[in-house]
Amino acid sequence: MTASITSTPEIVIAIRDVHTRLGGVVIHDGVTLDVYRGRIFALAGPSGCGKTLLLREALALHVPDSGSIRVLGRDVVGIGDEEALELRQRCGVVFERAALFSSLTVAENVALPLRERTRLGRTLLDEVAALKIALVGLPPSAGPKYPSQLSGGMRRRAALARAIALDPELLFLDEPSAGLDPASGREFEELVRHLNELLGLTVFVVTRDLGLLWNVADHVAFLGEGRVVAAGTMQEVSRSDDPMVRAYFYRARSEPAGAQG
Amino acid sequence: MRCSGSWTVDRIGRVERLPRGLAWRKGVAVVLDASAVVAMDMAGAWLLHRTARGLEHRGRTVTLRLRPEHEALLRIVTSSGVVTGPPRTRDRPRLLSAVGRRAWISAGELGGLVSFFGEMGVTAARARTGPLRVRWRQVLQHVQTAGFEALPTAALLSFFIGVVLAYQGSALFRPFGAGILVADLVGLAMLRELSPLLTAIIVAGRSGSAYAAQIGAMKMTGEIDSLRAVGVSPIEVLVLPRIAALLVVLPLLTVAADVLGVAGAMVVAKSELAMGSGEFLGRVAREIRASDYLLGVGKAPVFAVIIAVVCCYQGFQAADDADSVGRRTTVAVVQSMFFVVVADAFVLVLSRLFGI
Repeated sequence: MTASITSTPEIVIAIRDVHTRLGGVVIHDGVTLDVYRGRIFALAGPSGCGKTLLLREALALHVPDSGSIRVLGRDVVGIGDEEALELRQRCGVVFERAALFSSLTVAENVALPLRERTRLGRTLLDEVAALKIALVGLPPSAGPKYPSQLSGGMRRRAALARAIALDPELLFLDEPSAGLDPASGREFEELVRHLNELLGLTVFVVTRDLGLLWNVADHVAFLGEGRVVAAGTMQEVSRSDDPMVRAYFYRARSEPAGAQG
Repeated sequence: MRCSGSWTVDRIGRVERLPRGLAWRKGVAVVLDASAVVAMDMAGAWLLHRTARGLEHRGRTVTLRLRPEHEALLRIVTSSGVVTGPPRTRDRPRLLSAVGRRAWISAGELGGLVSFFGEMGVTAARARTGPLRVRWRQVLQHVQTAGFEALPTAALLSFFIGVVLAYQGSALFRPFGAGILVADLVGLAMLRELSPLLTAIIVAGRSGSAYAAQIGAMKMTGEIDSLRAVGVSPIEVLVLPRIAALLVVLPLLTVAADVLGVAGAMVVAKSELAMGSGEFLGRVAREIRASDYLLGVGKAPVFAVIIAVVCCYQGFQAADDADSVGRRTTVAVVQSMFFVVVADAFVLVLSRLFGI
């Protein structure tokens, strides 16, 4: 699985010329990008440029005005409810605020997609949930705790455990390190990298975090003014002449959080 | 044993119980041959691992045959440190300890309520000494939502209570030729007891629940802490205006309920007992003492404080999850109604003692 990163990897998300307007404002003005299997793809850009919206469109949670989006070989624009459900089952998502169900324990949160979508017996359900909790680096004692009893970083891990409960092929992360201290942010980055290597997961991450962009992402696309203004490896993107990219990274890279590029 | 097909999380439920029920052939060595498995994920790998461990536990030697691409998965599963069958225990507390725990929690709640009362008093006192900052706009806003908007409900309900009481009363008194006593019954019951109680219950259900939910949600989103952080006492901005508003609103609603209740009875008296409205009102005015009326209206501010304080307190007790806001809202309404009725009974005892 992991070893399959060869010369021409399979494209799992293909976004072609997507246009989206929200309330009369043009958000996407012809976005085109590719995400390759087994890679970590990061979408960067200033806030309000429609990064999260693009992620929602890839999950068929929002329909673009025009253009095509293919995820795992399926056209998601105009997809039926049934098919969308099936597709989402092959994708794991962690939204920005982690959104764990506050009335359930961590173990129950992780077991929820398993219970709803599969016919596993109770013990096996618990065991698989425990497995995922261990995989994201949470101690077994975190299982019976409620989300409100966990720290922000642990909550993010728990949300990740829930997202990978069904062994998805594709993992969507929306601002995974927002609101985390640098140390937990870095640990989370390592975890994403680790899971990507371990399970061959394809990761689509929306982020503003420079550490993540530099250290974790294989490919980066920079979204600005409704289109992809720079794409490639982080090295290539950071050398882009586009004024928007320059403004973003020039100022941002002087911050201590900016990693050793 | 030979395994084939896809061992993925959506398919594996069917195979799960199989290995346990299998009649294993005698002998020690078992070969688990999973090389025909097309697709495997972590759940599948775990099931394989668990089956192998179970067999080894019963003294057999297990040889696992896997496709090379699945070996990494099995390694992850084996090294995860998860043990088979974590016991699902949910300790049910015994009766005695359950009673004890509840009592302890209730005592704590009562103590919290008392200290909340104290905190409120201190805040109010401080607001007195400093420049008296009554937040008129907020108070008026709460008067509008808790009072004016509750008026139709309170009026309609008390009207119908008056109608029902008069019907029952006339059925009871007419055979004795004492139909006129309906006026006494309805007048006394409404003015002294039912109007204040009814309006208190309506306001607790409408506004008390809203107070608990609002404050609970504000606590969840960190707004309460933000208020404290900018040096504003949440009690001063959130609780005191609500108390003030209910202090204004509840007596007014009670008076409205008095009027509508008697009016309802009047309508029935006319149709059932052929008693004119002038006669009816005259009887009410003669038989009901001013003290009865004032006692009824006088209870309203007491109820107002109970409802506002209990509901705001419960809002402040909410934890950081949606569940607890819901629970606190329920408790707020139930508890404030309970305390209202207790206070009502207390007032009754006092009025008996002093012969009012």
